[in-house]
Amino acid sequence: MSKDTSIHVSIEQAKLLVKYLEADQQNKADELIAEIQSPIQTALFEEIGKLTRELHNSLNNFHVDSRLNDLATADIPDAKERLNFVIDRTEEAANKTMDVVESIFPVVSNIQQQINNVNPLWHKLMHNELDVAEFKVLCRDIDVLLTTTEKETSKIHGLMTDVLMAQDFQDLTGQIIRKVIDLVCEVEDSLINMLTAFGITSKQERSNYLPKLGENLVEGPIVNLGNRKDVVSDQHDVDDLLSSLGF
Amino acid sequence: MLSPEGVLEKNMKVLVVDDFSTMRRIIKNLLRDLGFTNISEADDGNTALPMLKAGDFDFVVTDWNMPVMQGIDLLKAIRADEKLSHIPVLMVTAEAKKDQIVMAAQAGVNGYIVKPFTAATLSAKLDKIFQRLG
Repeated sequence: MSKDTSIHVSIEQAKLLVKYLEADQQNKADELIAEIQSPIQTALFEEIGKLTRELHNSLNNFHVDSRLNDLATADIPDAKERLNFVIDRTEEAANKTMDVVESIFPVVSNIQQQINNVNPLWHKLMHNELDVAEFKVLCRDIDVLLTTTEKETSKIHGLMTDVLMAQDFQDLTGQIIRKVIDLVCEVEDSLINMLTAFGITSKQERSNYLPKLGENLVEGPIVNLGNRKDVVSDQHDVDDLLSSLGF
Repeated sequence: MLSPEGVLEKNMKVLVVDDFSTMRRIIKNLLRDLGFTNISEADDGNTALPMLKAGDFDFVVTDWNMPVMQGIDLLKAIRADEKLSHIPVLMVTAEAKKDQIVMAAQAGVNGYIVKPFTAATLSAKLDKIFQRLG
C-alpha cells in the first residue's frame, strides 16, 4: 500500500499501546493507533491524489487538443467530399473519353465505306477490265475518297487530342487523394497515441491485423497482389481455378 | 437462343448490372461490337431482379459488389426462381479472391471475368457460355 518502507510500527509503540489499554485509556490507545497509521494513510492519499491528477490532466489534454476535434468535425467530412469529387471527376473523364471514342467510330466507318465504293472499279482497273466510262466514275469516286479521307483523318486527329486532354483528371485526382492519405495518416497516429496512452494496443497487435471482410467476402479491387495467397492474379488464374474444380 | 447452325442469336435480350454507369457503358459498347443490340441496364441487384421477373431476358452480365443487393445474391435469387433459373449469368467483377470465385461457381454462375478485362476475354467467355448451353 505504501511506498515508504520506513513506516513500521515500533516495539516502543506496541508496548505503549498495551500500557494504555491495560490502564483502560482507550482514547490514548486510539490516538496512538491513528498516529501509527497516519504516515501510511498519508502516503496512500498522496498516491491516489497523484493518479487522480494524472487522469484529470490526460482527459483535459484530449479535450484541449483541438486537432482531434478538427479532425472529427472538419477534416474528415472534408475528406469525404474530396473523395466524392474524385469519383465525379473520374466518371466525367471516362464519359468524355467514351463520347469522343464513340464519335470516332462513324468517322472510321465513313472512310471504310468510301474505300468499299472504290474497290470494285479499282479492281477492274488493276485487271485491265475497265472501260472509259467506268474509268471516269472511278476517278470521281477516288476523288471523293481522297477528300473524305483528308477531312476525316483531320477530324480523328482532333478527337484523339481531346482524348489525350480528357486524361487531365489524373493529376487533380492524384493530388486530392494524396491529401486524403495524409489525413488518414494523421488520424491513424492520433488513434494509436490514444490507444497507447491507455495501454490498449501494441506494435505486435497492429502487425497481425487484417482488414475486416464485408458480407460475402467482398473486398473490392486487390491492390497488393504480391502479398496475397488467397487471390487470383488474372483471368488465366480464374479459368484454371474453375476448371480444376470441374466447372 | 442458338440458331440451328449454333450461331449466337444476337437479338437476345441482355441485362447489364453494375453500380458504376461508366462500366455499364463499357460493357454495353463491347456487347454492341459483338452484335448484341437489345441491351438493358440496372444499377443494382435489387433494381435488376424486378426487371428480370417482368421481362423475358435471355442473359445477364453482372458485377459483384453493389450497394443494396450484391451480384452473388442476385445470382442466387435468379437460380432460386423457377421462371428465371435458366438464364445464363456472367459475372464481370473486381472481386478476385479464390473463395469468391468458388462461391460464384457453386451458386451457378456460367462465367467469371475479373477486372481489368479485355474485349477479347468477354467475347471468348460469351462464346463458351453459349456453346455449353448448345
